Amino acid sequence: MPTFVYMTSCDGCGHCVDICPSDIMHIDKTSRRAYNIEPNFCWECYSCVKACPQNAIDCRGYAEFAPMGHSVRALREEDKGTISWKIKFRNGTEKDFVSPIRTTPWGSIKSPSDYDVPGPEALISQELAHEPDALNIKGGLPALERKQLKKGFRKGL
Amino acid sequence: MFTSNPFAELSSLISPSVMQAYIAVMIFLVVGGTLFDVVHKKSAKYFFNNWQKIKNKETQKVGGGEMASIAIKTAVVDGLTSGEFCNPQRRIAHLLGMYGFVAYVVATIVMVFSYPTMATPTPAIWPALWYIGGLMVCIGGYWFWFFLRVDVVAEGHSPFRLVRADLFIVSLLASVTLGLIWAYVQSTGGAVAASTLLGLYLIATTVLFGSIPWSKFSHMFFKPAAAFQKRMEKANGSRRNLPPPADAPEIYGSARRQPQNY
Amino acid sequence: MGLFSNRKTIFVDSDVLVIGGGMAGCGATYEARYWGRDLNIVCVEKANIERSGAVAQGLYAINCYMGMQWDENQPEDHVRYARNDLMGLVREDLGYDIARHVDSSVHKFEEWGLPFMKDPKTGRYLREGKWQIMIHGESYKPIVAEAARKAATEIYNRIMVTHLLMDKKKKNRVAGAVGFNVRTGDFYVFRGKAVIVGAGGASHIFKPRSTGEGMGRTWYAPWSSASAYALPIQVGAKMTQMENRIVLTRFKDGYGPVGAYFLHLKTYTENVNGEEYESTWYKDTKAMVGDYIDRHPVPTCLRNHAILKEVAAGRGPIRMVTKEAFKDPHLEQVGWENFLGMTIGQAVVWASQNVDPKHTNPELTTSEPYVMGSHATCSGAWASGPEDYAPDEYQWGYNRMMTVDGLFGAGDTIGGTAHKFSSGSFTEGRIAAKAAVRYIQDMGTDEPEVSEEEYENFKAEVFRPLETYKVGRNEIVAGTVSPSYILPLHGLQRLEKIMDEYVGGISSGYMTNDWGLNKGLEHLQMLKEDLEYLGAEDLHQLMRSWELKHRLLASFSVAHHTLFRKETRWPGYYYRGDHMKLDDKNWHCFTLSQYDAKSNEWAMEKAPVYHIID
Repeated sequence: MPTFVYMTSCDGCGHCVDICPSDIMHIDKTSRRAYNIEPNFCWECYSCVKACPQNAIDCRGYAEFAPMGHSVRALREEDKGTISWKIKFRNGTEKDFVSPIRTTPWGSIKSPSDYDVPGPEALISQELAHEPDALNIKGGLPALERKQLKKGFRKGL
Repeated sequence: MFTSNPFAELSSLISPSVMQAYIAVMIFLVVGGTLFDVVHKKSAKYFFNNWQKIKNKETQKVGGGEMASIAIKTAVVDGLTSGEFCNPQRRIAHLLGMYGFVAYVVATIVMVFSYPTMATPTPAIWPALWYIGGLMVCIGGYWFWFFLRVDVVAEGHSPFRLVRADLFIVSLLASVTLGLIWAYVQSTGGAVAASTLLGLYLIATTVLFGSIPWSKFSHMFFKPAAAFQKRMEKANGSRRNLPPPADAPEIYGSARRQPQNY
Repeated sequence: MGLFSNRKTIFVDSDVLVIGGGMAGCGATYEARYWGRDLNIVCVEKANIERSGAVAQGLYAINCYMGMQWDENQPEDHVRYARNDLMGLVREDLGYDIARHVDSSVHKFEEWGLPFMKDPKTGRYLREGKWQIMIHGESYKPIVAEAARKAATEIYNRIMVTHLLMDKKKKNRVAGAVGFNVRTGDFYVFRGKAVIVGAGGASHIFKPRSTGEGMGRTWYAPWSSASAYALPIQVGAKMTQMENRIVLTRFKDGYGPVGAYFLHLKTYTENVNGEEYESTWYKDTKAMVGDYIDRHPVPTCLRNHAILKEVAAGRGPIRMVTKEAFKDPHLEQVGWENFLGMTIGQAVVWASQNVDPKHTNPELTTSEPYVMGSHATCSGAWASGPEDYAPDEYQWGYNRMMTVDGLFGAGDTIGGTAHKFSSGSFTEGRIAAKAAVRYIQDMGTDEPEVSEEEYENFKAEVFRPLETYKVGRNEIVAGTVSPSYILPLHGLQRLEKIMDEYVGGISSGYMTNDWGLNKGLEHLQMLKEDLEYLGAEDLHQLMRSWELKHRLLASFSVAHHTLFRKETRWPGYYYRGDHMKLDDKNWHCFTLSQYDAKSNEWAMEKAPVYHIID
């Protein structure tokens, strides 16, 4: 389902150009608005659809196997932490969904620099940042022993 | 200088009726060019079909009163305050250019038609509006041209790259810039320079109004119509198949950053 | 870029250079900052880390989580699971290492704001299956990217790294990387003391089932252009298991995921006559692979094998029986949201074709092959293992360091570590980053130095396709056909056809043999020569050119490995027609390759498997 842009809704802000993981949302030379330059490299990831502040981007399933007359549209509301979907089948069936996308405010992740500086013993150990606490287990980081190593094929493994 | 009517000064060289005829032709080009564009591209048919689709998909009735208030809202918010722009810088640049252009054009028409010669003294407000309007167009326009155009800001193209989408803004800036420079040179002497600049000014202005079928000029008529349709889509529940906003509190803020070309 | 713009060369210094801003790269960036508070940590990404990589559209499940805190699984269990699924051949030391750390990564995701589904009775993460937990992961990538942004000194978006740079003082030591800015066209020289490659695996090296507009709908992201492999291969890092390509059974056309369907909705498959079919092929499979067919769960490739046989016998397509499950409104919601949070395209396909799983049992298909390292497959670089227990043969100093000093890898990049998925790739990034910080500390003042000659040569090479196009374009009137250059899409389609027809793609039923592989290598060599004449019209096409070059180098590796392993280890992924049986006597080992760029030669060898877990 490659994306396309509605002419009357796009105001040429560039958010879709900025976000597209495939680098296929670019600016049309005649209207200075966005369009999909390479639908055969569009994964239908909807990153552009979600990023567009004007909801000017929509998708039409790949012409190679998707009949016309369908619609799958999304409204991502960052400040509410939700994404809403409306699916319309070619035969008119409609399905609506709303899902959470985040449980904490955007920008609230604690920087790794804000944690206590690990000591030199910690650097040599096998524990990664925030471990063993973040594993939430008793007995420390699990490990194997070299004597458990057995080289080569063994039946029944 | 800012309070003297440059067209009255010019009337010694070019007769007012020629100037008035030129303006009439430009107005004709605007109307004709837009109509030609609409007919040739069948954009009116598209708008009408789209309007029908919106009506057919309605889930809520929109009464006449509500429609009228939506029309007014469109005119005031989307039209007068360029409310459709989500980027505040682009909105301000557009407002500068839009009101500047209106002031500049209105002042031109008033001065050429009502105060065409030195015999009819021009109230200072009109040349002032003309200069101020022109400067506003230049500030908004050059700001947009170098710093806000999405193909420069988001795509990383050089600000000096020219494509067809630039036809309107380039001819507008050329016309207004040359007009301001011409008016200044004319009032400080230098007859040859003034005539040359006048010639260039007229070329740029003719291109601006003559290229309407190929430039973005006519979007100033389409955009309000589209804005009205969009508001109607929200009001009647069709929303162009978009889901309605979620019923959830706005407590997470936003991570949105301005696009950049890195 | 235009008449008046100048191409600049920009130098960026760093201590830890992370190439790729996906799950692995973001994990590495975060962890590097924790251990290296004063270090200069730079992450370079071809697109925008906010949505780059395979997790762009989100994920509906985290498929690698032990749940040690609730005694759900132990790391050994995961090693057994991955080993079983890969027919015995995994790096158990690396796999255990990821499994013992992954829970802490997942707990951090929850802390950071990723919504997890919870079991209403126990309050625990809602299990989809033994290893999988369910999340509302539409914003999984933006959340992880936020953590990386908080950690990095600088994140460079829209820069495609094309080559690694080697130390001019010491042999076989990495010193940085070069690339170009996809927006401005500037050339970047990154100097790094340690380099962590967390780039993407290989989609689009085999011809996909849809070749028109639909070629965008690959199972793995179309922007996974094998840079994870090409960058290390080019500098002589040893690679392993590159023959181990993966074929996926997914919903037809949209390649939508089936995991939640099998595990949570408890759907099952049947042939076109509504019959169970896997048992029909039990004997056939046993004759090929012996008692691997008796394992529980049945290895992924063997399930594919049964489907291929059943369809070839005329009783296809295989369909997912959903009508019962979808009667439950909760399960129906999960079934659809599963796509919307992970593979929106499948929802689009069904909406367009009026497929409602309540009323129809949708078709499944086997996909074209992919080569990557983080799913039910483990192609990638040969890496040093954890210091505390890895066998001596498997370690040469720093965890996740490849056979090139200072060159670390994570995610798709590292081979032998199957079933790590998103959380495991992020975790592997963390493992590699901590090791990289120690490597930098140990190096002291003996820092690597980039060679001006090397990067100046690369600069000319990187931009050559632009020059080729510009000059060659003068020869023809218009259009795409030129005698003096080929477009990136031409090269890509030629590569995909070669791999499809000679190296075991869909058109041959994933079958290949000695003759075919050698012929394929011949064709790949001609394609390699022709790629000197790639013509790129603009920077976007230049990026496509380098994606193709990376894909081609990875494809050579895949073909050589497939030729080297004289057995059919993973029927259902691919078949060696001339060695149709699994051969544990001779091939219960890893395949390793090493490429010499100067001589254009590939050296192949076997490496022993160490089983640590019983």
